[in-house]
Amino acid sequence: MYVILIYDIKTDEKSPRIHRNIFKICKKYLTNVQKSVFEGELSRAEELKLKMELKPFIRKDKDSIVIFKSRSNKWLDKEFWAMEDDKTSNII
Amino acid sequence: MKETFYITKSGTLRRKDNNIVFENSDGTEVFLKSEKMDELYLFGEIDLNTRLLNFLSQMGITLNVFNYYGYYSGSYYPRESKVSGYLLVEQVKTQIDLPRRMKIAKEIVCSAARNIYRNLRYYNKREVDLSVAMSEIEYFISKIDEMENINSLMGIEGNIRKIYYDQWTKIIKQDVEFEKRVKRPPDNMVNTLISFLNSMMYTTVLSEIYKTQLNPTVSFLHEPGNKRFSLALDIAEIFKPLIVDRMIFSMLNKKQITKSHFIDKSRGLELTDVGLKILLGEYENRLKKVLKHKGLKREVSYRYLIRLECYKLMKSVIGEKRLRRF
Repeated sequence: MYVILIYDIKTDEKSPRIHRNIFKICKKYLTNVQKSVFEGELSRAEELKLKMELKPFIRKDKDSIVIFKSRSNKWLDKEFWAMEDDKTSNII
Repeated sequence: MKETFYITKSGTLRRKDNNIVFENSDGTEVFLKSEKMDELYLFGEIDLNTRLLNFLSQMGITLNVFNYYGYYSGSYYPRESKVSGYLLVEQVKTQIDLPRRMKIAKEIVCSAARNIYRNLRYYNKREVDLSVAMSEIEYFISKIDEMENINSLMGIEGNIRKIYYDQWTKIIKQDVEFEKRVKRPPDNMVNTLISFLNSMMYTTVLSEIYKTQLNPTVSFLHEPGNKRFSLALDIAEIFKPLIVDRMIFSMLNKKQITKSHFIDKSRGLELTDVGLKILLGEYENRLKKVLKHKGLKREVSYRYLIRLECYKLMKSVIGEKRLRRF
Protein backbone atom coordinates (compact mmCIF):
# COMPACT_ATOMS: atom_id res chain seq x y z
CA MET A 1 0.00 0.00 0.00
CA TYR A 2 1.07 3.56 -0.58
CA VAL A 3 1.52 5.60 2.59
CA ILE A 4 2.14 9.14 3.69
CA LEU A 5 3.60 9.43 7.17
CA ILE A 6 3.76 12.65 9.14
CA TYR A 7 4.89 13.27 12.69
CA ASP A 8 5.00 15.90 15.38
CA ILE A 9 7.41 15.76 18.28
CA LYS A 10 6.65 17.92 21.29
CA THR A 11 9.58 20.24 21.85
CA ASP A 12 11.25 19.86 25.22
CA GLU A 13 14.71 18.88 26.51
CA LYS A 14 14.33 15.29 25.30
CA SER A 15 12.89 16.04 21.89
CA PRO A 16 16.08 16.41 19.79
CA ARG A 17 17.07 12.81 20.52
CA ILE A 18 13.61 11.51 19.72
CA HIS A 19 13.35 13.58 16.59
CA ARG A 20 16.72 12.35 15.38
CA ASN A 21 15.88 8.70 15.90
CA ILE A 22 12.45 8.82 14.37
CA PHE A 23 13.80 10.65 11.35
CA LYS A 24 16.56 8.09 10.84
CA ILE A 25 14.21 5.13 11.12
CA CYS A 26 11.58 6.52 8.76
CA LYS A 27 14.23 7.33 6.20
CA LYS A 28 15.06 3.64 5.80
CA TYR A 29 11.58 2.77 4.67
CA LEU A 30 10.20 5.89 3.05
CA THR A 31 11.28 8.91 1.07
CA ASN A 32 11.64 12.10 3.03
CA VAL A 33 9.54 14.58 1.05
CA GLN A 34 9.40 17.43 3.53
CA LYS A 35 10.81 18.02 7.00
CA SER A 36 8.52 15.65 8.88
CA VAL A 37 6.67 14.14 5.94
CA PHE A 38 7.49 10.78 4.37
CA GLU A 39 6.03 8.98 1.43
CA GLY A 40 6.35 5.60 -0.23
CA GLU A 41 5.16 2.09 -0.90
CA LEU A 42 5.06 -0.26 2.10
CA SER A 43 3.86 -3.81 2.47
CA ARG A 44 1.89 -4.78 5.55
CA ALA A 45 4.96 -6.53 6.98
CA GLU A 46 7.19 -3.54 6.36
CA GLU A 47 4.65 -1.27 7.98
CA LEU A 48 4.62 -3.39 11.14
CA LYS A 49 8.41 -3.54 11.12
CA LEU A 50 8.57 0.23 10.93
CA LYS A 51 6.04 0.55 13.72
CA MET A 52 8.03 -1.78 15.97
CA GLU A 53 11.22 0.11 15.29
CA LEU A 54 9.62 3.42 16.15
CA LYS A 55 7.91 2.17 19.29
CA PRO A 56 10.78 2.57 21.79
CA PHE A 57 11.25 6.21 20.87
CA ILE A 58 7.76 7.59 20.81
CA ARG A 59 6.31 9.12 23.94
CA LYS A 60 2.70 8.10 23.77
CA ASP A 61 1.44 11.11 25.70
CA LYS A 62 3.40 13.78 23.85
CA ASP A 63 4.30 12.82 20.28
CA SER A 64 2.06 12.04 17.38
CA ILE A 65 2.58 10.05 14.20
CA VAL A 66 -0.10 9.99 11.56
CA ILE A 67 -0.04 7.57 8.66
CA PHE A 68 -2.31 7.94 5.65
CA LYS A 69 -2.77 4.79 3.64
CA SER A 70 -3.92 4.30 0.12
CA ARG A 71 -4.18 1.04 -1.79
CA SER A 72 -1.80 2.27 -4.42
CA ASN A 73 -0.38 5.59 -5.55
CA LYS A 74 -2.76 5.31 -8.48
CA TRP A 75 -5.48 6.43 -6.09
CA LEU A 76 -3.52 9.43 -5.05
CA ASP A 77 -3.39 12.64 -7.05
CA LYS A 78 -0.22 14.46 -6.26
CA GLU A 79 0.14 18.09 -7.22
CA PHE A 80 2.88 20.55 -6.66
CA TRP A 81 1.54 24.03 -5.95
CA ALA A 82 4.87 25.70 -5.76
CA MET A 83 8.31 24.35 -6.57
CA GLU A 84 8.23 20.95 -8.17
CA ASP A 85 10.72 18.40 -6.93
CA ASP A 86 10.75 14.75 -7.72
CA LYS A 87 12.18 13.31 -4.51
CA THR A 88 10.44 9.98 -4.83
CA SER A 89 12.23 9.02 -8.04
CA ASN A 90 14.54 6.03 -7.84
CA ILE A 91 16.81 7.37 -10.54
CA ILE A 92 19.46 9.70 -9.26
CA MET B 1 7.47 -4.93 -3.93
CA LYS B 2 11.10 -4.16 -3.30
CA GLU B 3 12.56 -1.28 -5.25
CA THR B 4 15.46 -0.73 -7.59
CA PHE B 5 17.65 2.33 -7.42
CA TYR B 6 19.71 3.75 -10.27
CA ILE B 7 22.54 6.20 -9.74
CA THR B 8 23.64 8.04 -12.84
CA LYS B 9 25.61 10.80 -11.14
CA SER B 10 29.08 10.65 -9.68
CA GLY B 11 29.81 10.84 -5.99
CA THR B 12 30.23 8.76 -2.86
CA LEU B 13 28.09 5.97 -1.56
CA ARG B 14 28.30 5.36 2.18
CA ARG B 15 26.58 3.65 5.03
CA LYS B 16 25.06 6.11 7.45
CA ASP B 17 22.37 5.73 10.13
CA ASN B 18 21.94 2.09 9.12
CA ASN B 19 20.95 3.35 5.75
CA ILE B 20 22.61 4.05 2.44
CA VAL B 21 23.42 7.61 1.58
CA PHE B 22 24.58 8.92 -1.77
CA GLU B 23 26.66 12.05 -1.59
CA ASN B 24 26.73 14.07 -4.74
CA SER B 25 29.98 15.61 -5.89
CA ASP B 26 28.59 19.00 -4.80
CA GLY B 27 28.04 17.69 -1.26
CA THR B 28 24.28 17.20 -1.19
CA GLU B 29 23.11 13.98 0.39
CA VAL B 30 20.35 11.75 -0.85
CA PHE B 31 19.16 8.95 1.39
CA LEU B 32 18.12 5.75 -0.31
CA LYS B 33 15.64 3.45 1.36
CA SER B 34 17.75 0.53 2.50
CA GLU B 35 14.84 -1.50 3.84
CA LYS B 36 13.00 -1.25 0.57
CA MET B 37 15.98 -1.77 -1.69
CA ASP B 38 16.51 -4.85 -3.74
CA GLU B 39 18.97 -3.81 -6.39
CA LEU B 40 21.31 -0.91 -6.91
CA TYR B 41 22.65 0.10 -10.32
CA LEU B 42 25.70 2.32 -10.56
CA PHE B 43 26.33 4.21 -13.78
CA GLY B 44 28.41 7.11 -12.52
CA GLU B 45 31.86 7.15 -11.03
CA ILE B 46 31.23 6.24 -7.45
CA ASP B 47 33.47 5.79 -4.44
CA LEU B 48 32.45 3.23 -1.91
CA ASN B 49 33.96 1.26 0.92
CA THR B 50 33.75 -2.22 2.42
CA ARG B 51 31.51 -0.94 5.20
CA LEU B 52 28.92 -0.28 2.54
CA LEU B 53 29.49 -3.65 0.90
CA ASN B 54 29.02 -5.37 4.27
CA PHE B 55 25.83 -3.48 4.80
CA LEU B 56 24.57 -4.38 1.31
CA SER B 57 25.24 -8.04 2.03
CA GLN B 58 23.43 -7.81 5.30
CA MET B 59 20.41 -6.25 3.66
CA GLY B 60 20.52 -8.67 0.72
CA ILE B 61 21.01 -5.98 -1.90
CA THR B 62 22.65 -6.76 -5.24
CA LEU B 63 24.97 -4.11 -6.60
CA ASN B 64 25.37 -3.89 -10.39
CA VAL B 65 28.17 -1.84 -11.82
CA PHE B 66 28.29 -0.37 -15.31
CA ASN B 67 31.39 1.19 -16.80
CA TYR B 68 31.95 4.59 -18.33
CA TYR B 69 30.59 3.45 -21.67
CA GLY B 70 27.44 2.02 -20.14
CA TYR B 71 28.48 -1.61 -20.45
CA TYR B 72 27.88 -4.09 -17.68
CA SER B 73 31.03 -4.65 -15.63
CA GLY B 74 29.87 -6.91 -12.84
CA SER B 75 27.83 -7.41 -9.75
CA TYR B 76 28.42 -7.62 -6.07
CA TYR B 77 25.91 -9.89 -4.47
CA PRO B 78 25.37 -11.11 -0.94
CA ARG B 79 26.89 -14.37 0.15
CA GLU B 80 24.80 -17.08 -1.41
CA SER B 81 22.02 -17.87 1.01
CA LYS B 82 19.91 -19.93 -1.30
CA VAL B 83 22.10 -22.88 -2.05
CA SER B 84 20.98 -26.34 -2.87
CA GLY B 85 23.53 -29.03 -3.60
CA TYR B 86 20.80 -31.31 -4.84
CA LEU B 87 19.62 -28.83 -7.42
CA LEU B 88 23.17 -28.07 -8.53
CA VAL B 89 23.86 -31.76 -9.10
CA GLU B 90 20.63 -32.13 -11.05
CA GLN B 91 21.37 -29.00 -13.05
CA VAL B 92 24.78 -30.30 -14.05
CA LYS B 93 23.37 -33.74 -14.80
CA THR B 94 20.82 -32.20 -17.12
CA GLN B 95 23.49 -30.09 -18.77
CA ILE B 96 25.76 -33.03 -19.66
CA ASP B 97 22.92 -35.28 -20.76
CA LEU B 98 22.58 -34.07 -24.37
CA PRO B 99 18.98 -35.15 -25.07
CA ARG B 100 17.77 -33.50 -21.86
CA ARG B 101 19.85 -30.40 -22.50
CA MET B 102 18.49 -30.18 -26.03
CA LYS B 103 14.95 -30.35 -24.74
CA ILE B 104 15.48 -27.32 -22.54
CA ALA B 105 17.52 -25.43 -25.14
CA LYS B 106 14.78 -26.01 -27.72
CA GLU B 107 12.14 -24.66 -25.37
CA ILE B 108 14.23 -21.55 -24.80
CA VAL B 109 14.76 -20.91 -28.52
CA CYS B 110 11.12 -21.63 -29.19
CA SER B 111 9.90 -19.23 -26.49
CA ALA B 112 12.17 -16.52 -27.81
CA ALA B 113 11.03 -17.13 -31.39
CA ARG B 114 7.37 -17.10 -30.39
CA ASN B 115 7.85 -13.80 -28.63
CA ILE B 116 9.57 -12.41 -31.71
CA TYR B 117 6.70 -13.65 -33.83
CA ARG B 118 4.23 -11.97 -31.50
CA ASN B 119 6.03 -8.65 -31.84
CA LEU B 120 5.86 -8.89 -35.62
CA ARG B 121 2.21 -9.91 -35.52
CA TYR B 122 1.46 -6.83 -33.44
CA TYR B 123 3.01 -4.47 -35.97
CA ASN B 124 1.84 -6.41 -39.00
CA LYS B 125 -0.94 -4.56 -40.81
CA ARG B 126 -0.83 -1.85 -38.16
CA GLU B 127 1.73 0.06 -40.13
CA VAL B 128 3.34 -2.27 -42.57
CA ASP B 129 3.06 -5.67 -44.07
CA LEU B 130 5.35 -8.11 -42.31
CA SER B 131 3.64 -11.29 -43.37
CA VAL B 132 6.58 -12.56 -45.43
CA ALA B 133 8.92 -12.36 -42.45
CA MET B 134 6.28 -13.90 -40.25
CA SER B 135 5.87 -16.94 -42.42
CA GLU B 136 9.64 -17.32 -42.68
CA ILE B 137 9.92 -17.29 -38.92
CA GLU B 138 7.09 -19.76 -38.65
CA TYR B 139 8.99 -22.05 -40.98
CA PHE B 140 12.09 -21.88 -38.79
CA ILE B 141 10.06 -22.45 -35.63
CA SER B 142 8.72 -25.66 -37.15
CA LYS B 143 12.29 -26.73 -37.81
CA ILE B 144 13.40 -26.30 -34.19
CA ASP B 145 12.19 -29.71 -33.13
CA GLU B 146 14.26 -31.48 -35.77
CA MET B 147 17.56 -30.07 -34.61
CA GLU B 148 19.93 -32.57 -33.10
CA ASN B 149 22.72 -30.47 -31.66
CA ILE B 150 23.23 -27.12 -30.03
CA ASN B 151 25.11 -25.60 -32.96
CA SER B 152 22.37 -26.17 -35.49
CA LEU B 153 19.87 -24.89 -32.95
CA MET B 154 21.91 -21.74 -32.54
CA GLY B 155 21.97 -21.47 -36.32
CA ILE B 156 18.18 -21.48 -36.44
CA GLU B 157 18.11 -18.89 -33.71
CA GLY B 158 20.53 -16.74 -35.71
CA ASN B 159 18.38 -17.02 -38.82
CA ILE B 160 15.28 -15.99 -36.94
CA ARG B 161 17.05 -12.99 -35.46
CA LYS B 162 18.38 -11.94 -38.84
CA ILE B 163 14.92 -11.96 -40.40
CA TYR B 164 13.58 -10.16 -37.38
CA TYR B 165 16.18 -7.41 -37.38
CA ASP B 166 15.64 -6.88 -41.10
CA GLN B 167 12.09 -5.78 -40.33
CA TRP B 168 13.05 -3.18 -37.77
CA THR B 169 13.36 -0.23 -40.12
CA LYS B 170 9.82 -0.96 -41.27
CA ILE B 171 8.47 -1.04 -37.73
CA ILE B 172 10.27 2.03 -36.48
CA LYS B 173 8.63 5.20 -37.71
CA GLN B 174 11.50 7.48 -36.87
CA ASP B 175 14.12 7.85 -39.54
CA VAL B 176 16.82 5.50 -38.32
CA GLU B 177 19.58 3.68 -40.00
CA PHE B 178 19.65 0.12 -38.87
CA GLU B 179 20.96 -2.38 -41.31
CA LYS B 180 22.27 -5.04 -39.06
CA ARG B 181 23.16 -5.71 -35.50
CA VAL B 182 26.57 -4.25 -34.73
CA LYS B 183 28.26 -4.64 -31.38
CA ARG B 184 31.56 -3.50 -29.91
CA PRO B 185 30.96 -0.66 -30.40
CA PRO B 186 27.37 -0.16 -31.55
CA ASP B 187 27.42 2.22 -34.51
CA ASN B 188 23.93 3.68 -34.56
CA MET B 189 21.00 4.64 -32.38
CA VAL B 190 19.14 1.36 -32.56
CA ASN B 191 22.26 -0.72 -31.96
CA THR B 192 23.19 1.39 -28.96
CA LEU B 193 19.72 0.96 -27.52
CA ILE B 194 19.76 -2.79 -28.07
CA SER B 195 23.20 -3.15 -26.51
CA PHE B 196 22.38 -1.10 -23.48
CA LEU B 197 18.97 -2.60 -22.80
CA ASN B 198 20.16 -6.15 -23.40
CA SER B 199 22.78 -5.70 -20.72
CA MET B 200 20.12 -4.30 -18.39
CA MET B 201 17.97 -7.33 -19.15
CA TYR B 202 20.90 -9.60 -18.46
CA THR B 203 21.52 -8.11 -15.02
CA THR B 204 17.85 -8.19 -14.13
CA VAL B 205 17.68 -11.86 -15.02
CA LEU B 206 20.86 -12.49 -13.05
CA SER B 207 19.43 -10.88 -9.93
CA GLU B 208 16.31 -12.97 -10.28
CA ILE B 209 18.41 -16.12 -10.65
CA TYR B 210 20.16 -15.23 -7.40
CA LYS B 211 16.81 -15.35 -5.67
CA THR B 212 16.42 -18.98 -6.66
CA GLN B 213 18.61 -21.99 -6.02
CA LEU B 214 19.79 -22.21 -9.61
CA ASN B 215 23.45 -21.89 -10.39
CA PRO B 216 23.91 -19.04 -12.88
CA THR B 217 27.00 -20.51 -14.52
CA VAL B 218 25.49 -23.76 -15.75
CA SER B 219 23.52 -22.98 -18.87
CA PHE B 220 21.70 -25.01 -21.47
CA LEU B 221 21.44 -23.08 -24.71
CA HIS B 222 24.67 -21.14 -24.50
CA GLU B 223 27.83 -23.09 -23.77
CA PRO B 224 28.58 -22.75 -20.08
CA GLY B 225 31.72 -20.70 -20.34
CA ASN B 226 34.08 -19.19 -17.88
CA LYS B 227 33.83 -15.74 -16.40
CA ARG B 228 30.24 -15.19 -17.26
CA PHE B 229 26.87 -16.20 -15.98
CA SER B 230 25.59 -17.90 -19.08
CA LEU B 231 22.34 -19.10 -17.57
CA ALA B 232 21.32 -15.44 -17.38
CA LEU B 233 21.96 -15.23 -21.13
CA ASP B 234 19.70 -18.23 -21.70
CA ILE B 235 16.78 -16.81 -19.79
CA ALA B 236 17.32 -13.26 -21.03
CA GLU B 237 16.87 -14.65 -24.55
CA ILE B 238 13.21 -15.34 -23.81
CA PHE B 239 12.49 -11.93 -22.38
CA LYS B 240 14.44 -9.71 -24.75
CA PRO B 241 11.74 -9.52 -27.46
CA LEU B 242 9.10 -9.13 -24.79
CA ILE B 243 10.64 -6.30 -22.81
CA VAL B 244 13.63 -4.78 -24.60
CA ASP B 245 12.48 -4.85 -28.23
CA ARG B 246 8.95 -3.70 -27.52
CA MET B 247 10.34 -0.90 -25.43
CA ILE B 248 12.65 0.24 -28.23
CA PHE B 249 9.82 0.22 -30.79
CA SER B 250 7.42 2.20 -28.67
CA MET B 251 9.99 4.70 -27.43
CA LEU B 252 11.26 5.43 -30.91
CA ASN B 253 7.78 5.58 -32.41
CA LYS B 254 6.55 7.94 -29.72
CA LYS B 255 9.75 9.97 -30.15
CA GLN B 256 10.57 9.62 -26.47
CA ILE B 257 14.10 8.93 -27.63
CA THR B 258 15.59 10.84 -30.53
CA LYS B 259 18.97 11.60 -32.05
CA SER B 260 19.46 14.38 -29.49
CA HIS B 261 19.88 11.76 -26.74
CA PHE B 262 23.06 10.38 -28.23
CA ILE B 263 26.59 11.60 -28.67
CA ASP B 264 29.00 10.33 -31.23
CA LYS B 265 32.24 9.30 -29.62
CA SER B 266 35.27 7.44 -30.79
CA ARG B 267 33.90 4.30 -29.18
CA GLY B 268 30.65 4.38 -31.11
CA LEU B 269 27.42 6.13 -30.34
CA GLU B 270 26.74 6.72 -26.66
CA LEU B 271 23.75 7.74 -24.60
CA THR B 272 23.68 11.13 -22.94
CA ASP B 273 22.75 11.51 -19.26
CA VAL B 274 19.26 12.67 -20.13
CA GLY B 275 18.80 9.75 -22.51
CA LEU B 276 20.06 7.33 -19.89
CA LYS B 277 17.57 8.62 -17.33
CA ILE B 278 14.64 8.41 -19.73
CA LEU B 279 15.63 4.89 -20.65
CA LEU B 280 16.04 3.72 -17.06
CA GLY B 281 12.70 5.21 -16.07
CA GLU B 282 10.94 3.44 -18.90
CA TYR B 283 12.74 0.16 -18.23
CA GLU B 284 11.69 0.32 -14.59
CA ASN B 285 8.08 0.94 -15.64
CA ARG B 286 8.14 -2.02 -17.98
CA LEU B 287 9.39 -4.38 -15.29
CA LYS B 288 6.72 -3.16 -12.90
CA LYS B 289 3.96 -3.65 -15.44
CA VAL B 290 1.63 -6.46 -14.57
CA LEU B 291 -0.13 -9.02 -16.66
CA LYS B 292 -2.63 -11.71 -15.87
CA HIS B 293 -0.92 -15.05 -15.36
CA LYS B 294 -3.18 -17.78 -16.64
CA GLY B 295 -1.70 -20.59 -14.58
CA LEU B 296 -1.54 -18.70 -11.31
CA LYS B 297 -4.81 -16.87 -11.95
CA ARG B 298 -3.50 -13.60 -10.59
CA GLU B 299 -1.57 -10.57 -11.71
CA VAL B 300 2.19 -10.78 -11.84
CA SER B 301 4.77 -8.20 -12.82
CA TYR B 302 7.22 -8.79 -15.66
CA ARG B 303 10.04 -8.91 -13.14
CA TYR B 304 8.30 -11.66 -11.23
CA LEU B 305 7.58 -13.44 -14.48
CA ILE B 306 11.32 -13.81 -14.96
CA ARG B 307 11.58 -15.43 -11.56
CA LEU B 308 8.70 -17.76 -12.37
CA GLU B 309 10.61 -18.81 -15.47
CA CYS B 310 13.55 -19.69 -13.21
CA TYR B 311 11.27 -21.78 -11.01
CA LYS B 312 9.95 -23.54 -14.08
CA LEU B 313 13.49 -24.30 -15.14
CA MET B 314 14.22 -25.71 -11.67
CA LYS B 315 11.22 -27.99 -11.89
CA SER B 316 12.24 -29.33 -15.24
CA VAL B 317 15.82 -29.84 -14.08
CA ILE B 318 14.76 -32.03 -11.19
CA GLY B 319 12.41 -33.79 -13.56
CA GLU B 320 9.26 -32.84 -11.75
CA LYS B 321 7.69 -31.08 -14.65
CA ARG B 322 8.66 -30.64 -18.28
CA LEU B 323 9.68 -27.13 -19.22
CA ARG B 324 6.93 -25.59 -21.26
CA ARG B 325 7.43 -22.54 -23.33
CA PHE B 326 6.24 -19.29 -21.92
